[in-house]
Amino acid sequence: MITLNHYLIVSSALFALGLAGIIVRRNILVIYMCLEMMLSAANLALVAFSRFRVTDGLPDYSAQALVFFTITVAAAEVAVGLAIIVALYRSKQSVDVESVTKMQG
Amino acid sequence: MSIFSSEVFLAVLGIALVLVSVFFPKIPTRTLAWIGIAGVLASLACLLGASAAETSLPAFVAPYYSLDSHSLFYKGFALVITALVLWLITESEKTLVNYSLDGQIGELVGLPLIVCTGMMWIASARDLITVFTALELVTVSFYVLVAYTRKSALSLEAGVKYLILGAAATGVLVYGIAWIYGATGSLTFEGISASLRDPSTGKGTLLFGIVLLLAGLGFKVAAAPFHMWVPDVYQGAPAPVTAFLSVGSKASGFIILTRLVDSLVISSTLVSVEVINLLLISAAITMILGSLPAIFQTSVKRLLAYSSISHAGFLLLALACRGSTRFDLAAGDVVAFYLGTYLPMTVLAFFVLCVARRHGRGDSLEDLRGLARSSPLLALLMTVAMASLAGLPLTVGFLGKMMVLMAGVDRGYWGVVGCAVLSAAAGFYYYFRVILTLYSGDNSQTSEPIQLSLLSRVIAILLAAAVIITGIYPRPLQRAISGAPAAALTTQR
Repeated sequence: MITLNHYLIVSSALFALGLAGIIVRRNILVIYMCLEMMLSAANLALVAFSRFRVTDGLPDYSAQALVFFTITVAAAEVAVGLAIIVALYRSKQSVDVESVTKMQG
Repeated sequence: MSIFSSEVFLAVLGIALVLVSVFFPKIPTRTLAWIGIAGVLASLACLLGASAAETSLPAFVAPYYSLDSHSLFYKGFALVITALVLWLITESEKTLVNYSLDGQIGELVGLPLIVCTGMMWIASARDLITVFTALELVTVSFYVLVAYTRKSALSLEAGVKYLILGAAATGVLVYGIAWIYGATGSLTFEGISASLRDPSTGKGTLLFGIVLLLAGLGFKVAAAPFHMWVPDVYQGAPAPVTAFLSVGSKASGFIILTRLVDSLVISSTLVSVEVINLLLISAAITMILGSLPAIFQTSVKRLLAYSSISHAGFLLLALACRGSTRFDLAAGDVVAFYLGTYLPMTVLAFFVLCVARRHGRGDSLEDLRGLARSSPLLALLMTVAMASLAGLPLTVGFLGKMMVLMAGVDRGYWGVVGCAVLSAAAGFYYYFRVILTLYSGDNSQTSEPIQLSLLSRVIAILLAAAVIITGIYPRPLQRAISGAPAAALTTQR
């Protein structure tokens, strides 16, 4: 039997992996994928919490509504983000984090 | 008049301006900017008129959207800063065109209106879904604005940094919301605070969610330890956008924090101690980490970035002192007052930077040396802005800082108040260093005089007058916050 805790463990693992990836990886595209993974972790947690909070035989849908908003926002963020990363690649011929270290201090 | 009308109007106007600038590149950007400013001012007039007129909310939006005195104040705040930023964009048009990719800056005029829509929506948000969506509308638009002058390597770099860290903050924020929902079973502020009175609510889960949510919001308001992005992004972004980030983004973060702290602290005791402690610790670190590095900065934009961080510390302290009722301001109004004082002085400082940039001076402190000789007016305006940011008496910045400190003393948060005093003292050093630089420099150096148009002179002098007059007589600002018109509105509901 799969319980709420199983979903939450998977979601925490996804979130931790995403956060670790942002800190460790050097390629901005991979970092961006890790960011999406964090959002997916949040979505999974929301859906799981919503599914297991049953009132009158129906799950509580308010959190699932938030999931749709999150997916939409994530799509918008990817559209803008990839455009900025492409602009970066055009000017530096690289998508490595080392290419954006001009400002320091 | 419908309640969403000004938000929808501004969003449509913003999209229309972007489309017009794409399809009719012949139309000068300045015209588009003034159309935008006219639209914003029209909404502001509607807001001032509507707050007195009959405005009632349909029952189905009431749990998600509110129109109290706070939301009206922050809506007006968003409109004012948007109009001023559009004006700053017209002032620095030449610089922006030079650094944009194809000499077109139409989006730079349309996007602030969309940001304004988001900020106005945040001001009224009563549930976490609305908060999240509106906050992202603001943040995603800012990604574009920050990276807009792509020919400048710094702007692009700032854009990438803001994008990565901002998206990470979003992920943390949503994850926090998920756990808060898991603990309380509700996404509205009302529902959350109601379930806090229920002793069966899991405290650990809830605290985990709150810490993540505060971390996500702390990023937006430039609070330590999530302030790393601020100096780089402020330095790289075009100056009008930096002003917008510094004032607008901070204000929208703080209205959410105010409402969140309202629902978490005032009405319950389950997590109030922990939340207050988190805010106080963050406030202390923010003030110290904001002011100490500012002493060593050589770029004025970076200096203003660190100053913005240290001001965020003061605002966090004000937030933690909610419930202290000095100066006829009820709980949480000190935050609004501080933001109201922060707006004119910051815009003034960035206006001077924009004009100096247009006349070939850079952002570094040395580039401003002897500005008083090329333009005594600009130097005077910068002096007023810096004195007020430092908190010199008789300026509005002094009142804001004093209120926060008194509220902290009232509550007995001596440690944090000590940090605040230290930070203010350091502020006197680095802000006055800027003023000294303006008035120093040898006479041999010939610098061409800087001419300002009549309109920009009038607006800038009005801003400086607002800084000084409100510093002497703050009653109008207090009245705008506690909302005389909004009182009529709340009795109606």
